[in-house]
Amino acid sequence: MLKRLLALIKKDFLVESSYKFAFLSNILGVFVSVLSYFFIDKLFGQKMVSHLEEFGVNYFSYVLLSMAFFSYIGVGLGSFAGRIQSEQSQGTLEAILLTPTGISTILFSMALWNLLFATIDMGIYVILAVFLFKIDFVNINILSTLVILLLTITSFSGLGILSASFVITFKRGTPLDWVISNVEGLISGVYFPITVLPGWLQFMAKFFPITYAIRAVELAVYRGYSLFQLRKEIAFLFLFSLLLLPLSLAVFKYALRRARMDGSLTQY
Amino acid sequence: MPTAAENSDRSRYILEVNGITKDFIAPLSFAQLAEFDFKHRTPTRALEDVSFSLERGKIMGILGPNGAGKTTLLKIISTLILPDKGSVSVNGYRREDKIKSSIGLVIEEERSFYWQLTGKQNLEFFAALYGLDSKTAKDRIDELFGLFEIDYADKRFGKYSTGMKRRFALMRGLIHNPQLLLLDEPTKSLDYATALELRNFIKEKLVRREGKTALFTTHNMNEASDVCDLFIILHKGRIRAMGTQDQLRHQIGERSASMDEIFVKLTRAV
Repeated sequence: MLKRLLALIKKDFLVESSYKFAFLSNILGVFVSVLSYFFIDKLFGQKMVSHLEEFGVNYFSYVLLSMAFFSYIGVGLGSFAGRIQSEQSQGTLEAILLTPTGISTILFSMALWNLLFATIDMGIYVILAVFLFKIDFVNINILSTLVILLLTITSFSGLGILSASFVITFKRGTPLDWVISNVEGLISGVYFPITVLPGWLQFMAKFFPITYAIRAVELAVYRGYSLFQLRKEIAFLFLFSLLLLPLSLAVFKYALRRARMDGSLTQY
Repeated sequence: MPTAAENSDRSRYILEVNGITKDFIAPLSFAQLAEFDFKHRTPTRALEDVSFSLERGKIMGILGPNGAGKTTLLKIISTLILPDKGSVSVNGYRREDKIKSSIGLVIEEERSFYWQLTGKQNLEFFAALYGLDSKTAKDRIDELFGLFEIDYADKRFGKYSTGMKRRFALMRGLIHNPQLLLLDEPTKSLDYATALELRNFIKEKLVRREGKTALFTTHNMNEASDVCDLFIILHKGRIRAMGTQDQLRHQIGERSASMDEIFVKLTRAV
């Protein structure tokens, strides 16, 4: 399995590195968005102070961390569907599925590659934060941050695989991706703490795993919260992972079988 | 426990296809969706009760017009499409992973390669997915480059000519040294000289010298007549006839009929 996993990752690296401008524009994109929030903070930052007391930071520090984390989730795990769609439209999915490599190995390699790529993004955010904007990460609880990161990855892998099942079955239009990138951005505390929202939206936010992930990572990084202090968030993320991961794998296998029944595996 | 006769069949036949039937159901139309009519979906029969066996070391041609079910049959054999009825066994195996390891499907779709990677990198990637370690893969790729007389393997795949892309498709099909090759219109859209060269290569080098067995689809009757030992005439999803060219001639009662004439006679009445 390791041999096949490494081959899939090497292939992704070779393909991605052939698009050099895309990589540079990604770095530039991160820089521009960080700069935008820096100026938004200058304009409105003071109005957020009461909502940010719990986290002990200003608006810019809050949003920079949540953006880095959200992009990690979006790029890293929300893109299973994109990868499947790309292999499907390139015509390579059929050739891969002809080999005896198991579907779980293929999915796992996609997750690993996306994580590697997203980690580069995260690194850019951190470098900008520390060296350009002098944000202080001195209180960080590394163990809590890593545990939250791991649980976020597993719960979002589940959502990502569900989304890929939509692509296999319906070819286009993955409602889950839309929810992840739009609704979650609005109500789960990525761009502002959810206490800014009216009560009914705060209630809705409780049903999205990212709400717990963002809150937990802000508290672990800026306030140094321990695993015990974050037990509620950890429990929710663990529950989401426990439910979503096996469910999504079963749904994906079903979608694949259905596509093989109706001969639509390579249609896009 | 298999009997002695079954074991003997197993060693004689590399491929056994038993009673394959496949229907495709069209997606719902807008009118059906608007009326919530989810029940009346007419299936299109792609294959009906298709059964045959293929002896080791032979080349079998599946001949039929467009839409006859040729590609569907190859995809069912290679496990990409599941049949509604019937079964396939390759080398006596019915398990998907065993079948995948025993066959090499050569699809005419050029896009099934990564165009940003070189020809060699593509082969290395697929070799790893077939479970070859890097030393075995390197040796096998060098061997195939020798066999196919390739001396510029480090060019991006997208830059190769159509003929060269087809060679790489064949090399990918052979990378794990399968015993059975499934070739889906391997000479489609090639010029006459390249098509002839590729046909001779399949017949002389792969089958006669390397001892492979090949099953290939075509609607070019002259090509089939040139290459194949055995023929299946597939029309509207059903096998109309099968056997050697002489057996098919005998069936239509014309001792000197060409494959074109045989094909027309056998399918005209349908």
